[in-house]
Amino acid sequence: MPLVIFVDDSETALASTRMVTNSMPIEVKQYTQAQVALAEIEAGMTPDLIITDLNMPVMNGFEFLEALRKVSSTSRTPCLMLTTETKPELKQKGKALGLTGWIVKPFNPAQLKQAISRVLRLPA
Amino acid sequence: MLILKSVDELLVHIKNVQEDVISLSNESLMKMSNYIEKNSLEVDDDISTALQYQDIITQQLSATIEAIQSMKNSIDIFTHAYESDESLAADSMNKLHEKLNLTLQEAKDKKERFSGKSANNSADTDEIEFF
Repeated sequence: MPLVIFVDDSETALASTRMVTNSMPIEVKQYTQAQVALAEIEAGMTPDLIITDLNMPVMNGFEFLEALRKVSSTSRTPCLMLTTETKPELKQKGKALGLTGWIVKPFNPAQLKQAISRVLRLPA
Repeated sequence: MLILKSVDELLVHIKNVQEDVISLSNESLMKMSNYIEKNSLEVDDDISTALQYQDIITQQLSATIEAIQSMKNSIDIFTHAYESDESLAADSMNKLHEKLNLTLQEAKDKKERFSGKSANNSADTDEIEFF
């Protein structure tokens, strides 16, 4: 099964995504700290999709994305930003950093499922 | 000066209340989500959205806590300057005024930024955008 990792400093946000993904044919790992997820990736974890929040302490979503692009195994891994932020300039920055897409919170469960399925090319 | 000290204490109180609200709402949401997961309950879109509001509430309150802390720091600096040299008070008062205005503006910006696709701006926000 494809591995999807979620990074969000909010436990409750992670719980919300878990309710959506638990019926999907994917393996899910969740992290409240981007630097911890990054360390596991550097140690050999190879996610098929990374979904991250933007505003987080220590390492924010953009910093995480920049670091991921420097790791050979995740230099081209699809990444989605899941955030409350809606400013076009932030979306542009994400796009420039190689972000696959931008999802605004609170997300619609069906649409989040569709987005994951679309990126991973899961059968409908 | 007494007024400022009262304002300072009031700010600390508001900050403490907001921190408690964040903690309680987080605990409440986690208990509900644990119950939902434990019993394999399926939530519909409305419930899912409602559960996600907790995250937005936390971000909004955290932003105002930051603003309160910033205001408190500015007041502390002013109070210290005033107590050291009253002749500096007028200048310090102007600086305090500027800092408080800046803090207010930053807090208002964060309110907008951290609202996400909430009821206030759902009409003009695309939920998912692929690049």
